[in-house]
Amino acid sequence: MVNFSDLNFIFRFLPVFLIAFYLTPIKFRTWTLLFGSLLFYAVGDLRMLPALVGAVIVNFLFAKAQDGEKSKSLLLFILAIDFGMLAEFKILGQFVDNALMPIGISFYIFKMISYQMDVYSGRITDRMRLVDVAAYFCMFPQIVSGPIMRYEKFGENPFVQGKSQGRLSVFTMIEDGLRYFVLGLAFKVLIADHLSMLWNEVGTIGYESISTPLAWLGAYAYTLELYFDFWGYSLMAAGIGVMLGFPFITNFDQPYGAGSVSEFYRRWHATLGSWFKDYIYIPLGGSRKGALRTVLNLLAVWVITGLWHGITLNFVLWGLILFVIIVLEKFVVFKRLSSVVGKIVGRINVLVLIPLTWVVFAINDFELLGNYFARLFPFFGVGNNVNEGDFIKNLEIYWMILLPGVILCIPKLFEFWENHRNHVLFNVLWIVLFWGCIMSISGSAGNPFMYFRF
Amino acid sequence: MKFKKLLMECPILIGITSIAILLTIVALCFKDTVYAGYAGEETFGRHPALAMVFRGARDNVFPWSSEGAAGANYEPVQESSEGDDEAFSEGEENAAQVSEDNADGSSDGGEDTSFESEDGGDISGNDAEDEETVYEFTEVDDDYFCDALFIGDSRTVGLSEYCEELDSRATFYSKVSLTIFACMDKEFIKTEEGTISVDQALRENSFGKIYIMLGLNEIGVGDTQYFKDAYKEVIDRITELQPDAIIYIQGIMHVAAKKSDHDKVFNNDIINERNAAIAELADQKRIFYIDMNEAVDDGNGNLDSTLSFDDVHLKASSYERWHEFLLHNAIVR
Repeated sequence: MVNFSDLNFIFRFLPVFLIAFYLTPIKFRTWTLLFGSLLFYAVGDLRMLPALVGAVIVNFLFAKAQDGEKSKSLLLFILAIDFGMLAEFKILGQFVDNALMPIGISFYIFKMISYQMDVYSGRITDRMRLVDVAAYFCMFPQIVSGPIMRYEKFGENPFVQGKSQGRLSVFTMIEDGLRYFVLGLAFKVLIADHLSMLWNEVGTIGYESISTPLAWLGAYAYTLELYFDFWGYSLMAAGIGVMLGFPFITNFDQPYGAGSVSEFYRRWHATLGSWFKDYIYIPLGGSRKGALRTVLNLLAVWVITGLWHGITLNFVLWGLILFVIIVLEKFVVFKRLSSVVGKIVGRINVLVLIPLTWVVFAINDFELLGNYFARLFPFFGVGNNVNEGDFIKNLEIYWMILLPGVILCIPKLFEFWENHRNHVLFNVLWIVLFWGCIMSISGSAGNPFMYFRF
Repeated sequence: MKFKKLLMECPILIGITSIAILLTIVALCFKDTVYAGYAGEETFGRHPALAMVFRGARDNVFPWSSEGAAGANYEPVQESSEGDDEAFSEGEENAAQVSEDNADGSSDGGEDTSFESEDGGDISGNDAEDEETVYEFTEVDDDYFCDALFIGDSRTVGLSEYCEELDSRATFYSKVSLTIFACMDKEFIKTEEGTISVDQALRENSFGKIYIMLGLNEIGVGDTQYFKDAYKEVIDRITELQPDAIIYIQGIMHVAAKKSDHDKVFNNDIINERNAAIAELADQKRIFYIDMNEAVDDGNGNLDSTLSFDDVHLKASSYERWHEFLLHNAIVR
């Protein structure tokens, strides 16, 4: 149920929660949010609920201790606890048992760290209440995979704080949140989940046996899958947030329209990027302490980014590759080359190099990764038992998902929809889209082999 | 008036909510009749009731479908929903494409067949002798497969795609998610005149050997006896249509340990049970049972995980083992 595209979430948890939330007197709505979120978490991962609750309480107590005079050593101590907890669970999850990795820990710990640093820096001045802080850390729309919303945004909700609601009506908010939710659901269910079958098919054949065109098709299919999966999830999460009165959190801002890799990562998973900027890069000195320090700071950011995604070597390699590209962009492409050439190289970096980095991201076995790249660039070796027809075969099956996926990468489209989303045609289309998604999900309901057909 | 204002304010919410309520009412009204096949303990209560309407719709079962028809559909309904998903139609095209490739080959195969059987007629001698002969598996070369037909699911599709020696000689009537229940009547073989069923194709072409590997998709459907009966029906029908062909019942290929150990349905115990059942259909005269699992075994009765990526299918480079096995386990009459 901790999956927003689960029928039980859509038709049971979400409506019941929304009704309960808005029936609760405004003074106590944060409590409803907290209890609803803990219930949501417990259904998903009851065994790891104590870890979450423990982290929440410890973080609250440390923040509370910063109430008067700020203490740097106290801050460093709680940061060490938070980072340590994240590292420990990641190591346990990787090397002992995957089930030991609490759901959403990468996200809620990052929220906690940003909260601690904001309290210390004085950005958060609200009177601290356990229920607010706990609800912020645990809120179910964000606990599984973000977005990593800042605490100040949490305070902007007119429906829980009893602040002036202006002309905002509850129903307008629910409706608008629903629009984002349905779009995100469609991205995930209709595009990403189906493209994952193509990526799986590539694996089934075996990387050493795919033709070079299929290797490229696979790389782009995985690129699109990842994009629509995460963008879709983020839209659903932000949409639920809007239904509850929170501001819309932009996590993806047309990254494939970016002109460079550094810009790409300001637009891709933007809440994570800005987290790294505000809580790692800038505290380390950012780009204000000379070129060497800038490079070292970038290195720190990208190694940690890699490890945050997973503590296998391929993620470190992935982070290092991005580090190298970004440094080259900063010091060569946009500095030494003429601006036209620079722009072209920047685009190529986004549209060609980024998909290749996703392959590194996807395959955590170096031998398999090597096989894949040998097929992408066949002058590194020959394939084993390649059927040259595999590209056409898969293109014939998947073009009807790949094509909309590519079209939806055009930045103006989303903008157009956002500006006209109240239009009656979009309203009708959204109802149809929603039920189309439900149709797709129902086919796999109760079927653990969602995409398995032998 | 108030409702109109609400409708203006949130048309999508109202649209979705009213449809959801309507579908739930439909689902609950028909749960004991049309949707009886979907309301089993497994699904009912664990999923919102309206899911039944959608699962039904995917199988062309609607509230206005007659109850009897739905009842008769019960098994196939279960079976197709088992592995069904949005890409089903795409999958169909996929399989159709594959068989189209082979449709060209099948006419070649047809010519080869007549050639082979003339040739083979001399060797096999008269029918009376046939009755007494005890056949043994021997080694053959690839030309043995020139008049062979392979019927199967995605695993056989893989064999056709990644075993050039077989694909260029034999005919493949294989399709992703094909089951023993559907294999004769489902129309998926593309010919110049349109799409035809295996039954139809066997009336129009003749083969010297017919290899079948089916049974994994439908492993969650019915019990072993039910499966065996369905299998026997298929064998009987093929025998009727192609009385001179050697029929090879291939045991279902195992899944890898990682899958088998954690799966209540798709595990090797059930596969072994079903293989034992279909092995009994062999008569050692015209119908033979062969089990290629020995060629891909990990030593513990599972599919060797190094040969597979998804624990179910062979990787492209592993199909050679299956091919080798077939070369070494052939019947020559």
